[in-house]
Amino acid sequence: MHKDDLEKLLGDTLQQEVSEERHYLDGLEKKIVAELTGRLPRKGWLHALTRLFAQMQSSHRRQLAVIGITAVIFLFLGIFVSERLPLFRGLFSAYDEQHTTTITANSDGGQLLFVMPAPGAQTVAVVGSFNNWKPILLTDEDEDGIWLTNLSLTPGRYEYAFVVDGRWWGQDPLADEYVRSFGGYNSVRYVGHTGDNI
Amino acid sequence: MSKEEESSVYHVQDEVSLLRASLGGEVEAWGEIVSRYKEAILGLCVGFLRNHPDAEDISHDTFIRAYENLHRYHMEKRFSTWIFTIASNLCRNRLRYRRRHPIVPLPVQMEGGCSPAITIAQEDRQAQIRQGLSRLPYRYRAPITLRYYNDLSYHQIARILSLPEGTIKTHIHRGKARLRQEIGKMEVVNHA
Repeated sequence: MHKDDLEKLLGDTLQQEVSEERHYLDGLEKKIVAELTGRLPRKGWLHALTRLFAQMQSSHRRQLAVIGITAVIFLFLGIFVSERLPLFRGLFSAYDEQHTTTITANSDGGQLLFVMPAPGAQTVAVVGSFNNWKPILLTDEDEDGIWLTNLSLTPGRYEYAFVVDGRWWGQDPLADEYVRSFGGYNSVRYVGHTGDNI
Repeated sequence: MSKEEESSVYHVQDEVSLLRASLGGEVEAWGEIVSRYKEAILGLCVGFLRNHPDAEDISHDTFIRAYENLHRYHMEKRFSTWIFTIASNLCRNRLRYRRRHPIVPLPVQMEGGCSPAITIAQEDRQAQIRQGLSRLPYRYRAPITLRYYNDLSYHQIARILSLPEGTIKTHIHRGKARLRQEIGKMEVVNHA
């Protein structure tokens, strides 16, 4: 058998085997979604920690884990104590004031307009932390290529991005700031009197 | 928004935003990921395991396991490599289990009868490939599946199977040679 024939035949055979399983593939996503929807909420960090310890076989790894956890406990203890000592409290509050004053609100709260110029686009959606990254479609009623939606939001800081024909568009010119996330950008807008109230 | 509308919205989304939504607990978004990867994952499992009920089981478990561990996935890396690695590890575990709890394999079904001669010859060849793949050791079968069914590069296969790239090339080369030998033997038996 010729070299390329074998490679082609291998691909075709596996393809054929998968197509014989069409009955199984057809409902798979629905089955998985139903199964995940019906599940109990995820177990907490304590459960994960217990499982981690249970899986650790070597004493070396266990020692490292104990050192790490002890360090974290001391770190939290340090922060807790420092906030209660007057000397440190003054230090931190001065720092907080200096930094929070740089964040100013550009919206009165309530309605927030999202605008995305995308002439020729088929679908434009906004996804963000305000509704758990679930897409909300923008509309272009006058068909001028400017897509709009108006959302009612409670005061706070919101990360968001546009999705134009399935592509991530993270830098909105109307945003207050941008943050890097998962190798791309997200826009941030502050709603309300100050942005630090979440 | 109705279920249908919701899934149509997810249909136009890119992979990163679907994964982000899934991380936020949107199982419908994960459903879209499942529909994009189900064929690739099932093909991988069929190729690795050579047993359809087990392959179905592991495909299902792969998507559940991946969803449960999505917080461990780094978005800057390729998602396909990550999910193929999960499927590959689950297949390996199932093969270990099968070594202790073997099942009797069913004979390869040959369909034909009134089909044209060329189709019969093609089906015959495919049946030989199926048998040959089933007889190949796992170390050859796994990279061959990833290469010729999933169309992955040697580099990606090496990452999925945690082996050096050179070893992958050698295993694929030897696997194909072994497969040609097996097919040759079958042809001799058929002609005798």
